[in-house]
Amino acid sequence: MKLDELLAKRADKNVYRSGDLCVKLFDAGYSKSDVLNEALNQARVEETGLNIPRIESVTKIDGKWAIVSDYIGGKTLARLMDENPAAEDEYLERFVSLQIKMHAKKCPLLTKLRDKMNRKISASGLDPTVRYELHHILDGMPKHDKLCHGDFNPGNIIVGADGDYIIDWSHATQGNAGADAARTYLLFVLDGKTALADKYLKLFCKKSDTAMQYVQKWLPIVAASQLNKQKPSERDFLLKWATVVDFE
Amino acid sequence: MSNQIKVTNEETLLQKLAQVRAAQREYAEFGQERVDKIFFAAAMAANKARIPLAKAAVAETGMGVVEDKVIKNHYASEYIYNRYKDEKTCGEIERDAAFGITKIAEPFGVIAAVIPTTNPTSTAIFKCLLALKTRNGLLISPHPRAKCCTAEAARIVLEAAVKAGAPDDIIGWIDAPSVQLSTLVMKEADLILATGGPGMVKSAYGSGKPAIGVGAGNTPAIIDSGADIRTAVSSILLSKTFDNGMICASEQSAIVLRDVYDEFKKEMLYRGAYILNAANAEKLRKIILINGALNAAVVGQPAAKIAALAGIDVPPDAKILIGEVENVEPAEEFAHEKLSPVLALYKAADFDDALKKASRLIADGGLGHTSVLYADEVKAGDKIKRWYAAMRTCRCLLNSPASQGALGDVYNFKLTPSLTLGCGAAGGNSVSENVGAKHLINIKTVVERRENMLWFRAPEKVYFKKGCLGVALTELKDVLHKKRAFIVTDSFLFNGGFTKPVTDVLEKIGIAHTTFFNVAPDPTLACAKEGAKAMTDFGPDVVIAVGGGSPLDAAKIMRLLYEKPDTVFEDVAMRFADIRKRISPLPKLGEKAYFIAVPTTAGTGSEVTPFAVITDESTGVKYPLADYELLPDMAIVDADLMMNIPKGLTAASGVDALTHALEALASVMASDFTNGLANEAVKLLFEYLPAAYQKGAADPLAREKTAHAACMAGMAFGNAFLGVCHSMAHKLGAYHHLPHGVANALMIGEVIRFNSAEAPAKMGMFPQYKYPEAKSRYAALASLLNLGGKTDSDKVDRLIGAIDALKKTLNLPATIAGAGVDENKFLATLDKMTEDAFDDQCTGANPRYPLFAEIKQMYLNAYYGAKNGGNK
Repeated sequence: MKLDELLAKRADKNVYRSGDLCVKLFDAGYSKSDVLNEALNQARVEETGLNIPRIESVTKIDGKWAIVSDYIGGKTLARLMDENPAAEDEYLERFVSLQIKMHAKKCPLLTKLRDKMNRKISASGLDPTVRYELHHILDGMPKHDKLCHGDFNPGNIIVGADGDYIIDWSHATQGNAGADAARTYLLFVLDGKTALADKYLKLFCKKSDTAMQYVQKWLPIVAASQLNKQKPSERDFLLKWATVVDFE
Repeated sequence: MSNQIKVTNEETLLQKLAQVRAAQREYAEFGQERVDKIFFAAAMAANKARIPLAKAAVAETGMGVVEDKVIKNHYASEYIYNRYKDEKTCGEIERDAAFGITKIAEPFGVIAAVIPTTNPTSTAIFKCLLALKTRNGLLISPHPRAKCCTAEAARIVLEAAVKAGAPDDIIGWIDAPSVQLSTLVMKEADLILATGGPGMVKSAYGSGKPAIGVGAGNTPAIIDSGADIRTAVSSILLSKTFDNGMICASEQSAIVLRDVYDEFKKEMLYRGAYILNAANAEKLRKIILINGALNAAVVGQPAAKIAALAGIDVPPDAKILIGEVENVEPAEEFAHEKLSPVLALYKAADFDDALKKASRLIADGGLGHTSVLYADEVKAGDKIKRWYAAMRTCRCLLNSPASQGALGDVYNFKLTPSLTLGCGAAGGNSVSENVGAKHLINIKTVVERRENMLWFRAPEKVYFKKGCLGVALTELKDVLHKKRAFIVTDSFLFNGGFTKPVTDVLEKIGIAHTTFFNVAPDPTLACAKEGAKAMTDFGPDVVIAVGGGSPLDAAKIMRLLYEKPDTVFEDVAMRFADIRKRISPLPKLGEKAYFIAVPTTAGTGSEVTPFAVITDESTGVKYPLADYELLPDMAIVDADLMMNIPKGLTAASGVDALTHALEALASVMASDFTNGLANEAVKLLFEYLPAAYQKGAADPLAREKTAHAACMAGMAFGNAFLGVCHSMAHKLGAYHHLPHGVANALMIGEVIRFNSAEAPAKMGMFPQYKYPEAKSRYAALASLLNLGGKTDSDKVDRLIGAIDALKKTLNLPATIAGAGVDENKFLATLDKMTEDAFDDQCTGANPRYPLFAEIKQMYLNAYYGAKNGGNK
């Protein structure tokens, strides 16, 4: 397989274009089960009928695992937002609508968001008191089964010729949409776009008829899960967000 | 202790649980005296350790105030001991021998206790003491931030308890707490006693075990215009600074009426509060909440430290930080529960505005918990009522500091002392009061079978003997001092001069009278209303009913309408399962008029019964009324009025009286009192009814004896009620126009056979009726009548034979067919008659509870004359 163009470079994988296909090539040593799981998740999401790239094959290239899917031509929504700041509101509207559309889908075989969050809190390195509070908060959140992306940000939306595509399903779970929105909010804030984050949250809550506190209640949890990424620059900020108490 | 297991993981937790469970099993056998000794020792030990435990709690959690935690520990030991020291919590706690009810207190078993970080030692002492008093085992899941001091408090109580004789290991705790272990302990325990945040409480309820979980508050305090501002301010400061604001009931906001707002602020400043300016309030907002959630760094900290965190300079001794705010929505940081000496201050335009603001604040995180009002208790009564009606909180405290006031027994000695405050339905809790010992007890109720009370009710005066009427009526003047008499009768009797003996006497003794004689057979509501109107016009103080069943029944209803014109027949005619428990009883009667019944037939017994039947002519619905208020005050049974009863009527009414007595004898409500009357009535009827029928006026003794028998049978069934024979006769008579007595005569043989079943499909239900025994009752009656027979079955057959023979003597038909009822018409109405008979009021007292099919079969047997048909 000929890898034409490097589309994205990440810490442990690179994404290439190969004609009509897109190849996500994982570094050597990347967990095989994680690769297969990601492909499986994406295949499951395909079945919901959402506009997403279809998995074509999972293979090995030069001894490294690769997931091969359709190449979706077009710019990401993130890029469009950068290029046309005046149209930010319009793009945000589109972004939120797409997220709500996704939340309307069910994907019953995906990992449960709650299980994943419980794991992440346990592995967050936070002190036991804070973890105890977070586990309790998580325990008290309503149990839903909505399709959640887990990394829903404008960089993962491609505005294609035939509609908007959501890409990168490696963090997909099923669960509470509030958590998914909280995660999006956190990603905006970590990206330094606080004003946009607030605008996003307001719009999401309005369009999905959700109380803002309800999404906010997820923030300490998604902050704790983000701590797993162990980015030193984010640590103090995330700690502040995670250190809250459940009312007594 | 037997084995000091450190609980750090699931395995050790399960081991500890097994120990606690074993200890609890042993402890469950302890008596009240031993338990009270242990309770005393444990409370004393906790009280002694109140200062070191307070110090340990503050040192470990870094929150709160040592001196205040001393108070909490003191409270948890002394107040709890004082409240429960004399309470019975073991074994029999209540007994009522007469009613046969005993209540036995038993422990739940092992209780999982989740202890919060805000009150880590006092709540531990509280729950340990309650568990010891109620013979439960306790396994504590502390908060990780307070695990050592909570464990230490539990250890002190446990050691003292064990020293005083409690089993080793009756209390245990998790040494290395985690959500996983607290979930496990909740899953394994028999009851969960959870105090903490909403998440923890939810998981307690979600554990699948019975849970008492109580949660968060967001207490608003309204300060009304007439409030004593000095009391209000100092109470709020006392409460809000208590343990640095960590009591969940603590005031989170003060809502002050406009006209006293400045005075309130001034007094707050005077007493040491710090009121933030707009810029500082904004700074504080940023650190109270993080993304809408309470910042752990401010919880239980002194005001000055919190101010410093926010970069605000305040005097080091500032008591509380007050933010003047307007928004009551969750978007306002000050509107939340802050668990710290930070207070929101709102200005209310008027009292309604204050209620609105308080309600909104409660809705955001304080549902079911606590609210406070400062107002003039004497003058603001109406406002106080409106306030507690509007607050969705389980504790509404008047003029009291919220923290100490809600705990109970401090600012009000009747409020249960507790460190676990229920929040009821609004708060998603199973308990709405302050949690106490009773919530940790299972009450076993030992219920002994009781027959409760039966009764015998009859008119206060029953006068009898041929020729007694005149003598009896003179009482109206001499004894009762009546002035105006209203006579009710039918036109046949009136025209026949039957009321003349009555009116002659009345005239002689000078009592004004009038006669209503427009009563037709099967009296209607219209007739009763007409009579009642005439009564109202005349204004009698005595009503005299003269006649057979119809005038007597009509007169009962007329007097009812005369005295209570608003009676709704649909309601008072509602069928009852137990006359003592009926939903719509009749009102008290007799205030306007005394009621005298004078029968002119020997049958219905209406002169001594509480029954009357009235038909609504507009709908055709029959209302059978039964209520002792309908009972006549005086019955005059004078055979002189019965001498010339036609033969047919003598037969029909006589056999009606016979079935009254027979059904009263078999009834589930039959008593020694009614049996005596019924037995004698049956005897008299067998002996004298044929002569009364055949000889009429020629045999005055027979007339008199049958009249007495009918009246006695009336008293029997007026108290023991009837049975399915009357149920079926009512419908047979109504559908096929047979005289009531004849209809009864047609069914009674079948019913005796039916009731005699020794293993009926269903027996009648009444505590006095213990097992099917109608057969032996009938057999005893047969013996009384000297009918012979060796076995009960033989005797019952002979009784039925004797009844059949009597019917023959009276020329009554033997079958429904023989009575002239058309077969097709009979069959066409059979199902409807069956269902109606089943639903008749008389069915309930029958000794055998009849099934539809059984009633139907009895009808068929009675129609065709089939003997022994289909019944066991």
